[in-house]
Amino acid sequence: MADNLEEIQKSIKKYIIIGSLLIVFTVITVGLSYVELPTHGMNIMVGMIVATFKAGLVALIFMHLNHERSVIYKILAFTFVFAIVLFLLFHFSHGDPLVFKDFDATSAVSH
Amino acid sequence: MDIPFTVSARPDTGLYNAKLGIWLFLASEVMLFGGLFSAYIFLRVGADYHWPIHELPVLPGFVNTMVLIASSVTIVMAWASLKLRRIFQFKLFMAITVACAGVFMVLKGFEYNAKFHHYSVELQDGTILTGHLPHGYEIQFGEASELSLTIQSENAAMDANPVKYVFPYLEGEAPAFKLTDGSEIRLDEAGFSKLQKETVAAAREKIEKRKQELVEAGKKGEADALNVVPPTTVKLTAVSPMKFSVKPSKTFGYTAESITFKDGTVVKGKLLDDRMTLEVDGVDARSVADKEKSLAWERKYLGDDWKKVFIANRDHAQHEFKEKYGDGRDPLKSATLQKHSYFIHIHSTTPSDHAPEGAGHSASNEAPAAAEGGHGEEAHGHHPTVVLEKKDISFFSNFTPKLNTYYAIYFTLTGLHGLHVVAGALVLAWFWLCNGKLLKTNPEHLANRVEVGGLFWHFVDLVWIFLFPLLYLL
Amino acid sequence: MSAAAIPHDHSHTDDHAHDHHEQSFIWKYVFSTDHKVIGIQYGLSGLLFLLVGFFLMMLMRWSIAYPGQPVPGLLFLENLPLIGGVFHDVIGRWAPGGIVNGELYNMLGAMHGTIMVFFGIVPLGFAAFGNYVMPLQIGTIDMAFPKLNMLSFWFFFISGVLMMYSFFSGTGAVQTGWTMYSPLASTTGLGVDNVWNHGHTWWLMAMVFNISASLLGSVNFITTIINLRARGMSWFRMPFFTWAMFVTAFLLLLAFPPLEVAALLQLSDRVFGSSFFLPTGLMEGGQHLDISGGGSPLLYQHLFWFLAHPEVYVLILPAFAIVAEVIPNNIRRPLWGYKSMVYSALTLGFLSFLVWAHHMYLTGMGTMMSTYFQITTVLISVPSVILLTCLMISLWGGSIRFNTQMLFASAFLPMFGIGGLTGLPLAFNFIDLALHDTYYVIGHFHYVVAPGTIFALFAGVYHWFPKLTGRFMNDKLGRLHFWPSLVGMNLVFAPMFIQGMAGFHRRWYDGGKYFEQTSADWLWLNEVMSIGAFILALAQVPFILNVFMSIKGGKKITNDNPWDATTLEWATPTPPPHGNFTFDVSAQRGPYEYSVPGATEDFTPQWADEKGKPVVAPASSPAAAHH
Ligand code: HEM
Ligand SMILES: [Cu+2]
Repeated sequence: MADNLEEIQKSIKKYIIIGSLLIVFTVITVGLSYVELPTHGMNIMVGMIVATFKAGLVALIFMHLNHERSVIYKILAFTFVFAIVLFLLFHFSHGDPLVFKDFDATSAVSH
Repeated sequence: MDIPFTVSARPDTGLYNAKLGIWLFLASEVMLFGGLFSAYIFLRVGADYHWPIHELPVLPGFVNTMVLIASSVTIVMAWASLKLRRIFQFKLFMAITVACAGVFMVLKGFEYNAKFHHYSVELQDGTILTGHLPHGYEIQFGEASELSLTIQSENAAMDANPVKYVFPYLEGEAPAFKLTDGSEIRLDEAGFSKLQKETVAAAREKIEKRKQELVEAGKKGEADALNVVPPTTVKLTAVSPMKFSVKPSKTFGYTAESITFKDGTVVKGKLLDDRMTLEVDGVDARSVADKEKSLAWERKYLGDDWKKVFIANRDHAQHEFKEKYGDGRDPLKSATLQKHSYFIHIHSTTPSDHAPEGAGHSASNEAPAAAEGGHGEEAHGHHPTVVLEKKDISFFSNFTPKLNTYYAIYFTLTGLHGLHVVAGALVLAWFWLCNGKLLKTNPEHLANRVEVGGLFWHFVDLVWIFLFPLLYLL
Repeated sequence: MSAAAIPHDHSHTDDHAHDHHEQSFIWKYVFSTDHKVIGIQYGLSGLLFLLVGFFLMMLMRWSIAYPGQPVPGLLFLENLPLIGGVFHDVIGRWAPGGIVNGELYNMLGAMHGTIMVFFGIVPLGFAAFGNYVMPLQIGTIDMAFPKLNMLSFWFFFISGVLMMYSFFSGTGAVQTGWTMYSPLASTTGLGVDNVWNHGHTWWLMAMVFNISASLLGSVNFITTIINLRARGMSWFRMPFFTWAMFVTAFLLLLAFPPLEVAALLQLSDRVFGSSFFLPTGLMEGGQHLDISGGGSPLLYQHLFWFLAHPEVYVLILPAFAIVAEVIPNNIRRPLWGYKSMVYSALTLGFLSFLVWAHHMYLTGMGTMMSTYFQITTVLISVPSVILLTCLMISLWGGSIRFNTQMLFASAFLPMFGIGGLTGLPLAFNFIDLALHDTYYVIGHFHYVVAPGTIFALFAGVYHWFPKLTGRFMNDKLGRLHFWPSLVGMNLVFAPMFIQGMAGFHRRWYDGGKYFEQTSADWLWLNEVMSIGAFILALAQVPFILNVFMSIKGGKKITNDNPWDATTLEWATPTPPPHGNFTFDVSAQRGPYEYSVPGATEDFTPQWADEKGKPVVAPASSPAAAHH
């Protein structure tokens, strides 16, 4: 924890830098969304990677997850496993990958 | 009796209670938004229509992102200032944070409001027309004189109430009505409530009488079994014919001869007109098999001249696509090209005034934003007007959750996020304005509170970081 | 570290005296922040809801056994002076001639499930026992967030009121099953213009409050267990009860939010006309609905079962928690395999998030997903079996005291065994395709929850009653409660397996009479089960009498640790005062040190300084001793 007063003093600058970085990456996200990549799926992928990076900055720096206690990491680790289960399994049960090779294409018109 | 570790951390875990608590709460929030995002994926993958891309106004969304990022910086600065006991700065940063929340919500309000007045009409062949309804959409129903009300005695999920559900749509004054026994009544508030009371009382009396008879006949058991009073249907005839104009959503449905209102009241008469007048600001033919034969280009609707504009726009978009990517890409697989080719935005009354859309991609991309962003006054009067026949319309709605699953999830996600913004801002405002005593006596405790509130606030920002690209951009 | 370690309590003793004397009745017993009072509040309301749920079930059982015949006494109840009117509004107006018709049966079914699961068992097992016992067992003065704890109860209270109110709404209570599957649940009664006239809206509102209450509770439990354990109370000195509550709290914390999502989206479908769970082209009564379509009913089931499977472990873990306290205490031996039980509970918690779609085999998810869920479902039975086996092995060679709580606890073991074992065939999707939605499934989970969890809850009541009141419950009445209950339970639920395999659908309001050509062979079982239910109902009379009579008239306890138990809750005065402990409590050893070789007594409490030394807590030491 940044309870040490000097450290807090120092981190103030850090917060401003991270804030500006976030703004820069927001501009990048908007710009990239107008560039047409080979498939729209790739656009989504790139957009999500940038967003995840930004979210990472917020979590690590603003929410101090870069130096937190182990209990909190453990709780979050489980949460993320379950959240990912929530994404993946829902998605997979949408079709049958064993039967259809390109199983998304059977249910979706466009991405 | 004090609970330990409210201010200082427990040595072996290194945490004070509230910090552990807020992280647990955030974990459950991750699952909450996780469920919603998961629903988003599920709905998008399974969508049987063209998922909107760049359809929301990007600019307000972008500004809102900036605002939230700024507030994320200020809240963490507020915490740091308090830790360093720079009280003035602490208060300043708290104020800015709360102000940012205000700006965010105001912009959101404008964004929502524009949607409520903008409509989308799907025709039977899959063509979608977007635009405004200058007079709203009401059906005309006339020569009506027969009214049948179902008055409930119990189980009143749906009870006749013509004063509330029928007469508001009547043109002119409500006439007097004749009951089947020939007596005449007025169906105003008092008149109806009297009728209702009398009807229920009569139904009850009938049951009681029947009970009495049964008891007298020595059938006590059968008498007891009569424990539910049935509803009564009352038929009324108006002394002079009535004319209604009513939104279809205020009825259960109608036919050429009758109309059923939301209280279950059935009115017999004649359907006069159920056409819809729409000021068209966009034609989306993506779901039509033969796009040049879309209903929209029929003479009675937009006609050939607009079709030419459509074709020119399509050719232009496809030409540009080819020039840009050569044969390297399959035009059928490009969702953006599909949109640029088959979804035109109309911003003039006649085709001849219509500026070609191909002036550059970004311009056409901003078009929907402009059409929606420039809502209200300006939009009216600059669009062709069509009168749609009911038989051609398969579904219509304004841009609300009803329109399609995209708008449904958009409103749910942003609405829930907005609630989080409001809740977070209220809590932070509380710490800023109402915790003066704690600030003096135990600033460390207040700093803990601000840290915990701040963690929540950052989480709200973090959710928005994903919402913005998913809903506005991609 | 314990309470004694915190630096800021100089002026504290006065404060203490202050809030002790000036608390009025309302703050002490109604809006209390004391975990014990809140536990009791949860307990009483939970028991009340259990009774309501039971009553609804009796009406259903009547309708199944004697379809088309008026329920005896129903018309009589309706004609009573004051409550008759209320009863008429809730039930009577839907039962013309006192006969339960299909509509009413559906309401009863949906509300029975909802009330039992969300308002009966979870509040009793987790909130009531957990709130009362857990903080005592880890040796703390209260929960980490007492005010949130109070808020949790009042949210629960509001949700109960809303749920009950739904009976009075225009359409009556919901009719679409406790699972509330869309599209049916999204569209029934949509014609009702005023959504507040519809029981479904109230159901959803009630669930939102119920979920919020659970979330507040679980945050509180976890924080308390992690941060407020007494000195020396290391993780593996925590009684199994506390461990089970810890895992349960995590299940509630992480599984409930997706249900909240499901409820919100369904509410949006109903109120705003969206199509989250409504597929394209949905028709009702031969007409296309005025909806956009494009949604997915499957999405609802995913969101629902993502909660509802972990929820079944929320129902069973508190039962294990209680039984794991009662058994070692009454066999005077340590719990066999305490550590493996703890790890099993943790594994169970983890795996329970990965098996939900075994409820959805029949939806046609696809073979790969079915296979995956089949595997995880079979896997999850391993930790369940370990838990059960440890408890059984514990019995071996013990000198068992068969008091009432031990009777209930020992009956729990085979009953849960039957419930769990009948779950295994359901795990295999080719068998489940035949058994899904039959009485077999009903039999399976009721064996787990009714003679399983509810017996454990009874055991808990008999076990901790002396701590609450300073008096024992009557053992004779206890036996009169236990044996008929055991018989009744098995009469009700065992025949369900037979009927299920014969293809009886779980939602027939006439018990299968309509399909007499195929169901005739086993129709007679309906009557057997209904008689069983009646026996079960009668068997609860001695229990209710016992509770009320023992509060004032039970045999008095002679010391604060009447069962010669080892865990910290028995170190408090009886009943525990505000602040719980009268001395600086700490844990010196593991939780189940019974019959330790060389000790003078056959139990060595966690708080005793030396093996075998002071057995009874220094109850008379002054309240402020720990400062
Ligand atoms: C021991 C391992 C267990 C296995 C393998 C198992 C398996 C299953 C399966 C496959 C089903 C779905 C049946 C169907 O709908 O076709 C089911 C239903 C159910 N199980 Fe279990 N189960 C187990 C333990 C439990 C426990 C401990 C509970 C706790 C209370 C429980 C409660 C339920 C409930 C409530 C349902 C039915 C829900 C409904 O459809 O209304 N089960 N079980
Ligand atoms: Cu399950």
